[in-house]
Parts: sequence; C-alpha cells; structure tokens
Amino acid sequence: MGGRMPRWQLVLRYVLLLAVLAVTIGPFLWQLSTSLKGPTEDMYSYPPKLLPEHPTLDNYSGVADIIPVWEYALNSLKVAAASVVTNCVGSALAGYALARLRFRGRKLATTAFVMALLVPFESIFIAQFTTMRDLQLNNTLIAVVLPGCIGAMNVLLMRNAFSHLPYEIEEAAVIDGANVWQRFVRIALPSVKGTLAVVAIFSFMGAWDDFLWPLIVLSDPDKYTLTVGLNFLHGTFANNPRLVAAGTIIAVAPLIVMFACLQRYFFRGVGEGAVKG
Amino acid sequence: MSARTHRAASPWLFLLPGLVIIAAFSLYPFISTVGTAFTDARTLTPGHWVGLRNFQDMLDDEQFWTGLRNSTLYVLLVVPCTVLLPLLLALLVQKQVPGIAFFRSSFYTPVVASVVVVALIWVWMLDDRGLVNGILGYFGTGPVEFLSDQWLLLFSAMALTVWKGLGYYMIIYLAALANVPKELHEAAAVDGAGAVRRFISITVPAVRSTMVLVGALSSVAAFKVFTEVYLMAGPTGGPAGEDTTIVMLVQRVGTGLSGRTGYASALSVVIFVVTLVLMLLVLRADRKDGE
Amino acid sequence: MSVSSGRTRGERGSSRGATRRTAVVVVPLLLSALTLTACGSGGDDAGSSADGKIEGDISFQTWNLRANYKDYFEGLAKDFEKQNPGVHVKWLDQPAENYADKLSADAAGGTLPDVVNVSPDLSYPLAKAGVIMSLDKEPAAAKFKGDYTPEAWKGNELPGLEGSYAFPWYLNTGPLFYNKTLFQKAGLDPAKPPKTYDELFADANTIAVKSGGKTATLAGTPSIEDFGRYGVPLMNADATKFTYNDAKGTELLTKYLELFKNGGLDSQALTSGPDAVGQKFLQQKVAMNPGSAHDLGTFKQNAPDLYKNLGITDAPNNTGHPNMYVMGMAVNSKSKHKAAAIAFAHFITDKQNQESFAHKVAIFPSTAGSLDQPYWTQDDGTDEGRIRVASARLLKGAVNYTPVVMTDEMKTILKNEVAKALQGKKSPQQALDDAVSQSDKLLKQS
Repeated sequence: MGGRMPRWQLVLRYVLLLAVLAVTIGPFLWQLSTSLKGPTEDMYSYPPKLLPEHPTLDNYSGVADIIPVWEYALNSLKVAAASVVTNCVGSALAGYALARLRFRGRKLATTAFVMALLVPFESIFIAQFTTMRDLQLNNTLIAVVLPGCIGAMNVLLMRNAFSHLPYEIEEAAVIDGANVWQRFVRIALPSVKGTLAVVAIFSFMGAWDDFLWPLIVLSDPDKYTLTVGLNFLHGTFANNPRLVAAGTIIAVAPLIVMFACLQRYFFRGVGEGAVKG
Repeated sequence: MSARTHRAASPWLFLLPGLVIIAAFSLYPFISTVGTAFTDARTLTPGHWVGLRNFQDMLDDEQFWTGLRNSTLYVLLVVPCTVLLPLLLALLVQKQVPGIAFFRSSFYTPVVASVVVVALIWVWMLDDRGLVNGILGYFGTGPVEFLSDQWLLLFSAMALTVWKGLGYYMIIYLAALANVPKELHEAAAVDGAGAVRRFISITVPAVRSTMVLVGALSSVAAFKVFTEVYLMAGPTGGPAGEDTTIVMLVQRVGTGLSGRTGYASALSVVIFVVTLVLMLLVLRADRKDGE
Repeated sequence: MSVSSGRTRGERGSSRGATRRTAVVVVPLLLSALTLTACGSGGDDAGSSADGKIEGDISFQTWNLRANYKDYFEGLAKDFEKQNPGVHVKWLDQPAENYADKLSADAAGGTLPDVVNVSPDLSYPLAKAGVIMSLDKEPAAAKFKGDYTPEAWKGNELPGLEGSYAFPWYLNTGPLFYNKTLFQKAGLDPAKPPKTYDELFADANTIAVKSGGKTATLAGTPSIEDFGRYGVPLMNADATKFTYNDAKGTELLTKYLELFKNGGLDSQALTSGPDAVGQKFLQQKVAMNPGSAHDLGTFKQNAPDLYKNLGITDAPNNTGHPNMYVMGMAVNSKSKHKAAAIAFAHFITDKQNQESFAHKVAIFPSTAGSLDQPYWTQDDGTDEGRIRVASARLLKGAVNYTPVVMTDEMKTILKNEVAKALQGKKSPQQALDDAVSQSDKLLKQS
C-alpha cells in the first residue's frame, strides 16, 4: 500500500512529520542537553547555550550516588508491571460484560464506572489512606497498586473497543456451543489487541509517573518508587539543575523505550485483529 | 450448572473485580466527601454539621466564580483541539512509511514526560527573554508578556495541555482507525474523492464513537485542569489570582494541615456535578448525531 | 522577591509543594482516628510514660535531607543506639514536595513517626489537634529547656496553646545579595549597597531609570515577612486579628507600587513564586535578591558569571530585628516509646549535634552559647565565613515574623490583594483592608 503514494505527497508527509517532531521532542533535547552539562558551565547565561560545552555523564552517576536509582526503578517496575496485568485483565473483563452481555443492571454498572471517572482524586486520598491502614497494607507496594489497579477509564476504553465488533462473529460461536468465557477468550479478546496495548501503555505510564499516592502511602524510603525518590534531587540546601535534568531523563527513558517496543506489537495486533470478511 | 444460571451470573462475575475496586477506592470515599461538604471540618479536626453554608459561601466567593469561569473557558477552547488535532496526527502517522515507528514514539514523548518538567521548559521558552520572544524580536515585534498577562497565561497553559495530550489521544485514535476498512478509502479514492472529502465522509463517521469518547474524557480533564495552570501561572493563580481554576481553588483551600476540608469538599461536589453534566451533554450530542 | 531573608525549606516546600497535584484532605472516614487524637496531648493511652525507661523501636522523620546528609543522619541514629542499648532508631526522610500532605495523612491516620521535623507553621495545627506533645508539660522534656537559647525555645511556642511544641533545631537568616555589574551599569557604587529601605528604593529607582526600565532590582512582591521587617504590626497581641493594613503597611505597598510603575520591580513579579524569583537573580535579570549562606554554593556551581560579581549586604529592617526561620523536632504525643522519643529528639538537637550539623551545612545552631564560638564570630576571610559571621550576629536579635496562625491560604490572599494594588485595580489601602478582612474571617472559622 505504501508504494502508491505520489512523491510530492510523501515529501509533504515528511515535512509535516518533522515539524511535529520538532515541537514534541525539542523540549526533551533541551533537558538532555542540560543533563550533560559539566559542573563549570553557567546554567543561567543569556542567551542560553543549547549544547553542553563540556559534555559529561557525571550527572547520571551523581543521581545514583544520591539515591538508590536501581532499587527505586525496580520498585517502580514491580508496581507498573502489576498495574498493567490487573488493568488489562480487569478492564477487559468488565469492558466485555458492559459491551457484549445483556443483563439487568448493565446501565447501572456503566454509570458506576463513569462516576468513578469523575471523582476528584484530591478529595479522596486521605480516605484511601485510612482504608489501606485498616487493611494493614500501608507502607507496601500492594497499596501503591491497588486503588488504580482497574482504572475506570480503561474499562470504558475496552467497552468502546468491544462494542465495535460485529455481532455475527460471536453469533457463529454461540451456535457452535461456545460459552461466554470461551467467546471472550477466543474471539473477542484477540480482536481488541490494539486497545489492550493502549490500556497496557496507559496503565504502565500512570503507575510509573504517579507521585502523590505512593508518597502518601509509603513511609519506608527503601520502598519508594522512582518518581518519589527522584524528588530528593530537589535539594534542601542546594539545587543542581543538571542533576534534576538527569533524573528526569532517567524517569522518562524507560517509558519511551517501552512505548517504542510496544507500538510494534500494538500495530501488528490491530492488523491481525481485523475481522476477516 | 444450568445454562440459565450461568447466563445470569456471568456478567457480574466479569464485572466483579472492576466494581469492587472502584467501589472501595473511588465511590465509597467520595460518598463520605459528600457528607463532609455539609460540615466545617478541617484537615485535622472533624467538623460540625453546617447545612448548606459551604455552598452559600461559594456564591460570595469571588475566587469561586473566577475558577468556574477559567475552568469553563478551558473546556470550551481546549476540547475542540484535543478532539481534532490528535485525529489529524493519527492520520499522519497511520501510513507505514520508513521511519514511522520513530515518529510515532517521538510524538508520544510529551505524554510520558512529567508535566512539571514540561511546564518548566515552557515557562523558560515563553519568558520575556525566552526563545519565543527571541524569535518574535527577530521579526521586530516587541516582547509579548506571556507570563504576566492573565489571558496570555491562561492561553499558554491551554496550549500546553493540548500539546501534552496530542500523543495520548493520538494512540486512542490510531487504535480506532485501524478498524476502518481500507476498502472504503480505496473505493472512495477510485471515485475521485479528495482527501478532505474522504476525511469528512469516511474517516469521521468511522471513528465517531471514539471522537465522542475523546471529547467526553478531555472535557472532564479540561474542567479539572490543575497542574498546567498551577505551574505556569504560579500557586496563587496568576496576577491577582485571575487565572485560578476550580481545582486550584480546591487545592488552595483544602490542602495543608489547616485546610478547610468542609469547604473543599463542597467544591469537589460542585466539580463532580459539573463534570457529570458535561459528560451527559457530550453523550447526548452523540445520540442525536447518530439518529 | 521582596526583601525577605532567604528561601527556606518552608517556602520552597510550599511553592514546590504543590507543583504536583496537592490534595485536599477530606476526612470523615478518619473520625475514629481523630477521636483518639482529640483525647488531648499527654494522655497515657499511648501505653508508655515519658519518664519511663529509654527503650523500644522509634522512628524519626526529617524533611528532604537524605540527598546530601544520609550518612550523617544514619550515623546519628547509630550513635544514639550505642548510648542507649535497647533502642532501635529508624530514620525516615520525606522528599521536598507535599510534606504537609504527608503529615496530614499520617496525623489523620495515626501513623505519625515518633519524632518529626517541623517548622512552627506546621506544628501549630498538629499541636491544636493534640498529635504532638507540649514539651513544657512533660517534665522529661521540659528539663532540657535551658539547653537552648530562650528565643529559639520561645520560637516554638504557639499562640493560644500552652508551652513549646518542638525542640528547637536549626535557625536560618540571610543577607541580601546584589549584582555588582548591574549596580555599576546604573552608575551606582558597587561598594555601597543600600542599607535602609529608603536607600533600597532610591537605588532601585536609579537602576530602573538608567536602564530604561529594562533592569529591575527586585523580582517579587512584598510578603508578610517584608511587612514585618518594615515595622508594620502584623497581628494583635492574642493573634486573633491581622493588623498589617495600618498606615505603615500602606506606606510600604505604595512604595512597591511606585517601584512597579517605573520598572524597578520585575514585570513578572505578580506571578513569580519564590523559585522563579531566585532564578531571575541567577539569570542576572534583577539586581538584588535576599538569600541565605547556603545559596553561595548554588551561585558558584550554577551561575559562575554571577558569582564573580556578587555583592553581599545585610537585608534592611526598620525594627532592629532581622527575620529568621526556625526548625524544630516535635514528639508524637501518642508515641509508644515516649521516653526514647524525647531522649532522641533532644539528642539530635543537643549542642554537640547541632554544631556538627551546622559545620556541614550553612545553617545555625539554636543551642545556648553555640553562636559565641569562634566558628560563628571570627571571619576566616572567605565569602562563606563572612556571611556566616554576619548572619550569626544578626540572629541574636532575630524574630520569626511570619505569624504561625497565618495559613497558606491567607498568604495567597495577601499576595493576590497586593497584586490588585500593583495593577492599579485598588488603592493600596483598600487592597490591604480587603486582605485583612478576608483573613480575619478565615481565622474566626478555625
């Protein structure tokens, strides 16, 4: 399909792509550049220097000296991985029921998820904290995962995806005697791989970036996640923008890598999922 | 197990995990917030019942009206952009051309980056001696006071929100676009339909339900905007507090050790109701279009 | 920034504090927990008595000190364990942001550490809720009162409550930094920085006029400490009403208004928080900035060009009392091992440990007699030494101007009303009257 595009269209496409590229990643290149600047460079000169004069990786090892980056990254990874699994499973199950099954109370259930989406987090986090304390889960990584382990938005995304599937394919399976569970696993789920990948990315990202909740629920510094730990770089008595920049890159890089890897599957998934006519 | 009980029970089994989680960690805590809204509770002191006083106080609170105005403007100006621009972007990156994986991933970076960092970079760029004013100066236009004018500040924050959401909604659209049968486009192309016409008559109808979903999600998010404005306009909400949004007000009155929890809860209830109405409006518009 | 001494943790905490979503604390579910805490401080439901044996596992929490002082604090905990066999100390450190929210959740959930690092504005609500103990009422703690300077002990007393609620820890105050290059450019003598408010406003005027309104001298609007140092009475004696809208207060705001009109106050001042204000000075956009001794390191490292032309002078005041910031160590009133908690809170703030910490970082000990030692009285010729000696001298008469009953919300009200006056939407008098009446209303509700 790619071959049929006229040359001028292809050129226009790349021009547009490059323009958007400049706008979207420009700021990060600036951050990357800051993180590579040497200790003698003026951070506040005017006009600002775009490239480091004495590039160095010291700031990255500096971050690792101040906080146990690897341990915190491992904690973040555990939390994010768990969140991906629970969100994919939980929201696929719920989304399927809301979109494909007919039962009394379906509207009510849908409303419940919509309502949950609207609740402002600011107004409930202390209540969440006491619940965790009552469950004796405070200061554990489980408590970090639990409130967001099945996001209402992911449920609605899955519902939207399932509702697009033509009814015919499932009807055939019903005639073949397949029960709900079999239809869900064998027919419906493979058709929404693309959206599942979206849910996976969103939940990984959400768990990885979350700051306030892990901060509130964890008290033991050994259990901190990366975002919380990196906050230690905003020093009390000294602020080194290079270290902060290096910390930012450390936090963002895994997400970009993960997206870069996943997007391949994501597109293959959607391609495969297309209904064979 | 008979077929009938199976059919009756299984939907609820599918829903059970999701329902338990949202009930325990969103709905139940929020119900208690609603209760608090009628008290004069503070962060560390339980309150007494004060009836509707918090809601009456809101009517006299200048900042409440400012917040409501700014949050509403945010919805009106940001949502059309977040519904349309990411769709166009998705169309741009949908086609498999060499290097497309790189572009897709790059377009997603603003989403994954922490908004704190992003806002700092934006502030630096929009400063009166920043990059943008440098470019404007090159063309002979005087420095534009992006960071001290109440409206320019609000618009800059909106631009940041749209920019940060581009990649996010782009991938929702990409997933939806993949379901649009290619044959439709090809047939239309053979018929001689131009790109614009194909967009309006094929793409838009095919992803309409996704557009509605994006519209609903982004209007809720836009009404609840906090971080972008907070970081760009400062904690006090821009010059003389004129850029305060409603969630910023919740944060201002309700946080800290002596926060006015009761009043903040009442504000949260208002936010909840407004977003609910917004959601219903969007969904309603969808139904009408569909007929 | 206006003329206030230095960004401290408190300020930075509250500015960054909410850089991410800070949160509203809604509590009804916690009422059970609160009824417990409402029983009042000093109750013996905690299962331990303050003058019992020093033993058990305790936790103590500092605020954002892990990055640079991890070994130091772990060492302290070990030393204490060695001196007191049977005690195990767990050190917790909280990151910069959202400290008040973390304390809120812990206080409401009954999970506050045994010993907590607080400033008076944080200890006030905690003390009112009965979560931290009054040291004067607890003989085991009160006996250490004489170890600290009377001002520091008083600095942790809270209006309307009996006694002091935290062992005084470190103090800070700071000089006024100025940019010699910018002074020179305006034809001012860089060796003669302003000493009084009149000189300050006059110099700012000159710099603005000479630079055609391009160079501002100050980057922030006046905060409550600025009013305090200007000699404005901030509150009535029993801290139930604000009074900064008197003639003196209006005079200060009028001066700022003139400054803003002629470009002596940065055009972004109405929106800049403390961080942005500091950055303007680093970028050499504004000529003066209040700071503290540990800022020198930041200048050296991040803005070497500025550091070469850095001037240092005392921040002016009309009262004879410079401003200071106070940090303390409070003890959880529900601690299971009160005796150990008190002993540890005293240990970390005792003379030896405060002095050794103050040798590591440019802050000042609050223990009696410490500031009379040569380290704080004899200039060793370095910039650091000069500031250290000058600040230590200032601290002797220093006061913490910021009223502890003034919540962040009331500070925002002041900032926004001041902005209205500077924008010309209200007269300075009207703006301050409005700020006072709104704040008084909030005060009454609490």
